[in-house]
Amino acid sequence: MEMEEKFDAIIVGAGASGLGAAYSLAKSGFNVVVLERGQRIGAKNVYGGRIYSHVFEKEIPGFKEDAPVERWVTGERLTFLDDSSAATLELSSDFSSENSFITTLSKFNEWLGKKVEETGGLVISGIKVDDLIIEGSTVKGIVAGEERLFADVVIDAEGVNPILAKKAGLRGDWNPHEVAVGVKEVIKLPESVIEDRFNLNHGEGAANLFLGYASRYGFGGGFLYTAKDTISIGVVVRVDSAIANRISVYDIVEDFRLHPYISKLIKDGSPIEYSAHLVPEAGIHGVPKLYGNGILLTGDAAGFVLNRGFTVRGVDFAFLSGVIAAETIRKAHEEGDFSASTLSHYEQRLKESVVFRELENFRKVPNLLSNLRFFETYPKLLCEILKDAYTVGEDSKKIYPLLKNKMRDRVSMITLIRDIISVVRNL
Amino acid sequence: MSDGGDEKLSVEARLGLVAFTIDSEPHIRVNQDECRKCSLKQCLFVCPAKLYTEEEGEIKFNHEGCLECGTCRIACPKIDWNYPRGGFGAHYQYG
Ligand SMILES: Cc1cc2nc3c(=O)[nH]c(=O)nc-3n(C[C@H](O)[C@H](O)[C@H](O)COP(=O)(O)OP(=O)(O)OC[C@H]3O[C@@H](n4cnc5c(N)ncnc54)[C@H](O)[C@@H]3O)c2cc1C
Ligand code: SF4
Ligand code: SF4
Repeated sequence: MEMEEKFDAIIVGAGASGLGAAYSLAKSGFNVVVLERGQRIGAKNVYGGRIYSHVFEKEIPGFKEDAPVERWVTGERLTFLDDSSAATLELSSDFSSENSFITTLSKFNEWLGKKVEETGGLVISGIKVDDLIIEGSTVKGIVAGEERLFADVVIDAEGVNPILAKKAGLRGDWNPHEVAVGVKEVIKLPESVIEDRFNLNHGEGAANLFLGYASRYGFGGGFLYTAKDTISIGVVVRVDSAIANRISVYDIVEDFRLHPYISKLIKDGSPIEYSAHLVPEAGIHGVPKLYGNGILLTGDAAGFVLNRGFTVRGVDFAFLSGVIAAETIRKAHEEGDFSASTLSHYEQRLKESVVFRELENFRKVPNLLSNLRFFETYPKLLCEILKDAYTVGEDSKKIYPLLKNKMRDRVSMITLIRDIISVVRNL
Repeated sequence: MSDGGDEKLSVEARLGLVAFTIDSEPHIRVNQDECRKCSLKQCLFVCPAKLYTEEEGEIKFNHEGCLECGTCRIACPKIDWNYPRGGFGAHYQYG
């Protein structure tokens, strides 16, 4: 690399957001470089398991034929867990619209990296950006070890730990209640076993989210996604909740794996990888300043993740925010001005996009999900009531008295009804 | 070692499943002066790799096995936290 070579744009981080920006800029002939600290693209990326495809189909020609899709999701389950039992809501359909698919993020980002290279973008792995070069209040480039690289603009796509964004003065750090730690295990099982156990046809996949026991009844939940010949299971716990309840985070996913409901589903499969990653949880409330002189913030670093309890969307939002950043840079390039006032176009365009529309639509969700009844009272109640209702002794039991009895001292009927209404309204 | 069928795998056994290139220098450091004043000691339980331990009243940190999540950083602002150098640390295959 030339020592003082100047790029049109330097992108920090080869996640979906950095690669989205690089893909879009390289396609229009810009001289871009993506710097990734991982030894290869994908080596540092960890998520749950499912990607919504709409954004990608729109932006990448021939996406469906080419992308590393392992299974299209046809089965959706939401499970309430107590210490030993489970109550599941299931939706299974043919989803002919092919709305979301299961893959690993490591593989997916590696594929996106290839797309960037095919369009003429440069991705360099094994390089960590240590600092930004800031002159006055303008970002001019980056420092990586001994090297200094310059560009018209830097896209900060560093992900959920906003080390550089803090240095640029774009944001402060997350508070413990604004992020959750996700811990994951990947289990190897033959393809046919997965299909039999989850009642899937070839190429179909199941997504299962869990409330209750998985997060030790604290804010968070569990997940299970069936990939081709692996199953990803994991637990997500908000960091404030882990601290307050002194949760042994190093044991949560292993205990989840050994829960009778999960252990049956993954029987005879052994873990082949263990991983952990943070996820933003604050929704629209966690979105910081998105631009400055010579810098734009994308993806998780900007808090673009929507968690509705039963769906998590981050990868497609990350990619789209990168594409919109690229669009802004094209405009700034035309105007020959990369100051904050021109780059503010990025925020305007984001506000018109599905990213802000969704975060705005579900603005109350982080608040709603701050209600512990969803994570403790209701999962336990539901499991107990169903257990009792299905236990036939001398006389079978009527549901309503059972419900009233179980709810005593735990939650009033009014509160229950109010919670149901707020879920229906806001989720 | 068990392959983890129905038995609980230790966190050490699970970390053994991750490919690492370990740097000789730690990328994270604790500040013993702060630790001595700290009553909650949340680092001991929030780290998914269980890398913080307490020995004779001192907090010990072992950077080998760090999953690079940043949870300790959020839970305790006193920790001097960095990512490992480029190319070092965990190499996830199924992330
Ligand atoms: C447990 C969990 C489950 C999730 N489940 C889902 C799901 O099912 N579906 C979904 O759509 N989303 C899910 N998400 C969210 C989703 O993973 C993220 O929103 C998305 O991957 C963010 O992409 P990004 O490009 O912003 O960040 P990242 O993918 O984190 O990319 C940032 C990159 O920057 C690199 N980097 C950081 N600092 C530097 C530096 N200084 N120098 C060089 N490189 C650097 C990192 O190594 C990394 O590769 C989940 C997240 C978690 C943690
Ligand atoms: S939480 Fe922080 S200050 Fe307290 S013991 Fe751990 S590292 Fe030290
Ligand atoms: S970054 Fe994560 S794995 Fe590494 S020490 Fe901190 S909490 Fe543990």
